[in-house]
Amino acid sequence: MSIPGLGLSASVARTQLGPIDIIETIAVHELSRNSEWRFEVAISQSIELKVLSGTAELFGTELALNHPYTFRGTKAAIYSWHGCRLEVKGLCTEYIAEETPMISYVNAHFALEKSRDDAQESGGEGPRVLVLGPSNSGKTSLVKLLTAYAVRMGRQPMIINTDSREGLLSIPGILTATPFASTLDVEEGWGSSPSSGPSPVPVKSPLCYYYGLENPEDNTRLWKPTVSRLAITATSRLVDDPDVKFTGMIIDTPGSITSGKYSFDLISHIVKEFQVNTILILGSERLEKEMTRQLQAYKTVRGEEVTVLKLDKSGGCVDRDETFMRATRDIAIKEYFFGTPSHTLSPQTRQISFSDLTIYRITSPTTISSNFLPGLGEEETSFSCNIYEKTSAIDFGEMLHSVLAVAYARRGDAQETVRDAPVMGFVYVAEVDARREKVSLLAPSSEDIGERPLVWGCWPEAVLNLMG
Amino acid sequence: MSYGVTSDEVAEDYVHALQSLTMNTRVEISNLTLIAKENIEHALAISEALRKHIKQTSPQKKLPAFYVLDSIVKNVGTPYTLFFGRQLYATFMEAYVLVDNSTRRKMDEMLKTWKEPVPGTTVGTAPVFPPEVTRPIENALIKARTSAVQAQQQQMRGQQQLMGGRGASVTPYTETPTPPAAGNYGQPGYGTNYSEQQYPPAGAPQPYPHQVNGQHINGLPSRPPTQQYSPPVQQYPSPVQQYPQQVQSQQYIQTAPNTQYPYQSPAEQWQQPQSYPPTNPYGQQAPPVPRFPQQPAVLQQPSVLQQPAVPQHNQQTTQWQPSQAQVPTPYRALDNGLHSLINDIANLIRSTREHVAQQSQYGRTPEARLLTKLKALLQLDEILKGQQLPPDQLALIRTQVNNLSGEAEPPHVPSPQTYSPPPANAPLLPPPVPTPAAAASVLSQLPSLAALLARQSATPQPPVVTPTPVASTPALDPASILERLRKAGVLGGGTSTPPLSTLPGNVLPGFPPPLPFTPPVGRQPLAEIPNDVVLKPSSIKMFRPHLVFNLYERLGQPCNTCGRRFQTDEEGKKKKAAHLDWHFKVNTSTAEAAVRGQHRSWYADELEWIHAREVDDDQRLSNTTAKNGTSANASPAKPKIQYVLAPSANSDKVCPICQEKFETSYDDDLQEWIWLDAKDVGGRIFHASCHAEAYKDQAAAVKRGTPEPVLGKRKAEDDRGGVVVRVKVKTEPSP
Repeated sequence: MSIPGLGLSASVARTQLGPIDIIETIAVHELSRNSEWRFEVAISQSIELKVLSGTAELFGTELALNHPYTFRGTKAAIYSWHGCRLEVKGLCTEYIAEETPMISYVNAHFALEKSRDDAQESGGEGPRVLVLGPSNSGKTSLVKLLTAYAVRMGRQPMIINTDSREGLLSIPGILTATPFASTLDVEEGWGSSPSSGPSPVPVKSPLCYYYGLENPEDNTRLWKPTVSRLAITATSRLVDDPDVKFTGMIIDTPGSITSGKYSFDLISHIVKEFQVNTILILGSERLEKEMTRQLQAYKTVRGEEVTVLKLDKSGGCVDRDETFMRATRDIAIKEYFFGTPSHTLSPQTRQISFSDLTIYRITSPTTISSNFLPGLGEEETSFSCNIYEKTSAIDFGEMLHSVLAVAYARRGDAQETVRDAPVMGFVYVAEVDARREKVSLLAPSSEDIGERPLVWGCWPEAVLNLMG
Repeated sequence: MSYGVTSDEVAEDYVHALQSLTMNTRVEISNLTLIAKENIEHALAISEALRKHIKQTSPQKKLPAFYVLDSIVKNVGTPYTLFFGRQLYATFMEAYVLVDNSTRRKMDEMLKTWKEPVPGTTVGTAPVFPPEVTRPIENALIKARTSAVQAQQQQMRGQQQLMGGRGASVTPYTETPTPPAAGNYGQPGYGTNYSEQQYPPAGAPQPYPHQVNGQHINGLPSRPPTQQYSPPVQQYPSPVQQYPQQVQSQQYIQTAPNTQYPYQSPAEQWQQPQSYPPTNPYGQQAPPVPRFPQQPAVLQQPSVLQQPAVPQHNQQTTQWQPSQAQVPTPYRALDNGLHSLINDIANLIRSTREHVAQQSQYGRTPEARLLTKLKALLQLDEILKGQQLPPDQLALIRTQVNNLSGEAEPPHVPSPQTYSPPPANAPLLPPPVPTPAAAASVLSQLPSLAALLARQSATPQPPVVTPTPVASTPALDPASILERLRKAGVLGGGTSTPPLSTLPGNVLPGFPPPLPFTPPVGRQPLAEIPNDVVLKPSSIKMFRPHLVFNLYERLGQPCNTCGRRFQTDEEGKKKKAAHLDWHFKVNTSTAEAAVRGQHRSWYADELEWIHAREVDDDQRLSNTTAKNGTSANASPAKPKIQYVLAPSANSDKVCPICQEKFETSYDDDLQEWIWLDAKDVGGRIFHASCHAEAYKDQAAAVKRGTPEPVLGKRKAEDDRGGVVVRVKVKTEPSP
């Protein structure tokens, strides 16, 4: 038996990389320390990224060395504290930035860590942090960064999303509270909510409430109670769960509440409901001054003052145009039902007759009643009759391609109960057969939703190509 | 397991599975073997994949990968034997130079078995690999070992015997951070330069307590702490350029006074004069013989009292400018601290000089360590006076100077870190931004320096080895001076700071790849600087590298799959093991789950959510597997053994429940000593059966889908190798 290569036993050939790794359109980027590689991948495209050496983090989550990460339809940045080499396969718009606000962001994290330590010592609650800023100022990225850092240090932050424009572990239109105990998903942004199978990144369990409109201003009468309910439940979890309690909450907000007529009213509602004691403001000095002034005399129920701090907006923040946002929303809905390319899910379709369904419709952007005065401490009056419109059979045609929320409530429950009920999941109206009075609904699983009421909002908007 | 049709896909999947193989677990290895067997038509692709994996994976993962290879060749045989055989030499030797000693020992044992027929199989009486394949490896190992015997005083007894009764054992010698003879193996000339070794035989190798970075044996390079690629053996350049600094272990010399220095890096020669402290009755020292001196020589060189710096030092001094560009202006606030620091250093210099003078007065050559220290102190002084340093660095220096005055026990330098250019030790010397508060707090913690100094001059210095901190540094900075001090054995060394890999591009020319991965100095103090950030605009903008340290080095070593970091202590290792186990389970079950079809679970209801607790992925493991009850029994060759690896130290731990000891047994597949029927619960080890009994409720949640509770306490051997009956468990989607 002749074995090639043996004669050369004394010389051990070295090839650092096998031929497999050599594929066209590979770019290698060298990042010096404290710099950031910003990239945008179009919705239809994807890149594969590997960290060859050094350290790199994506919004605070450290990337593994030599592990291929795939990004599609993403605008993000990879930061390196120590310098790194990145290998990128595929096309994207990218550049390296040396100037970043990361130092102040990481310091903010460590300032929060300090109060978490204090909380742990005293048995109190960790900081409740509100992140404010105009649209596209990097709020969600900052929240993600602070979350990832906290998780890395063994904390369990409670992440609250009050921005219905973008979902967090859910589809848009939803307000969520999620305790994070495990690594964030580098590729999917936050990670994914539980599915029946294994997930390569530990799943996170959000508690979801449906708001169903794009902006809080669209219906503050619905938005405020929904936020209140979210706050109550989240706080209950905090009381119960020491790990989360000591870490505290980080609250993401919609950009729209930083301006406009109801701005301070909405912000102060969040501040009050969540007992916020730290406000981080991105970019807007005006907002900082205003919040400082407005909250000067305010104290939380525990007597804490509110710290307001402005952080610089990252130069990497880009405007995400409506097309991109729309595509992102569609993808979020698609992923809810069908999963991601690497982790596919199989939803089920079923036919249900109109008469078996209880559907509430969220009244489309309403003019808000004028008796609604801004100010702290204003109590909500209860709206028992007209939170929703009850859908009659005539509307079924309009429902086509909409996403409906399944509420944890029963048929016949009062509207407030439905409003305050968390979301169990979503169904998608795939077909409406007006003649036979049947709809076919796409549901995540074949499990019966029973007679649970469905809530039909106008946000996220109908998705035409979900089944295609 | 369903796999694609093409070899590429098979190989890819195989690599994927291999990547999660980090521990030596029988289950995974036999699973991988089975896959190789079932896909024998893709043997070439699989063997290539495995070979590449061995080559590219980190040293810690090489051994398990080798066990896969071993298992495949023994259980499947041809054509794998043929494919692996072709490159076995390269595969084996490349890995061998990178792994630590215990792994080497395992590899030796494995190699031994390759020369024999597979026990109890039908393969026949032919050895696993033909002698043509194994002999070159053996020869290379013998060669390396021969040189190592003289060079490094460590031995692998079993292998020695195997190699022909060369049974001389040596005192373990572990202090030299870099084996200078690294490049020797494969170069016959080196080996013959050694005479028979002169070290008194000792028992089994006992690592030195201070040893940090793995022992060195066999003249092979030490295992780099983090290594992503394998340096080829012959790329290890000759010791002279490569290992400019050698830290010699004086302790070693004291322990075995008759032992001669086996080797001294040529680079060290100019480091003379070198002598041993007065307490050394033998007055031995390392002679400046260029190559591997055999006999102790009496010091020839006169003292260099007033001129402590050796020529090279001077050369260095000229180059030695911390990069000014990094130094921003605003730290006048620190002036007080700076002044006291300068004073302290001046005091230290004075006392060190006195010390040196005393020594030379008595006709002895001043201890080289003192000279080095003096030299470094002088430079430090010069820096402090000559330029502004950022508070971080000042704080660092302060801490170190403090240690210098106070520390009595010389710690040992964990690794042969040389000075890297700034990018290489980025974590060390970040762009300095003033942290007055931090520095001040460090300063405030200082004990009285005068007292310390007094103590120092009164106490004879413990014998420390003189390192050669100088040489080969293109540019020095304060940190490297501190490092010299550290190397001089006078400063506390960060022992286990996980290194960061640095940019290959920044590797010093001529360095073997491992070096840049060694931990840079000064991390320890970084960690000690308190967190002083407040949410104020002024505070929030200062860069505090020590805080970033908390997010990286302090967290331990990252998982290769997801980047999550784990401590390197016992608990961290356990967590990591569970975590990797989780990765593996997820990987193996994902493919099946995809076939079966998964769906999104409903979100949690309020009460359920409030009472839910987030679990780590290691704890999540049980859930995940239980949910996919059928997934884990893909192969019948997945016997379930409840065991933990036996602790290396002889432990007489008992099970907290029954107070009985654990049964230790050697597992051939794992090639590890294990405790049977044992289970690690949060750091405490229980009998698995006792624990299952005591915690029936939890066990009923079906740990890993195995029906433990019904089995009660049983002999663990009984079910080893047995097919596990899986129960499909209906689990509610966990919130």
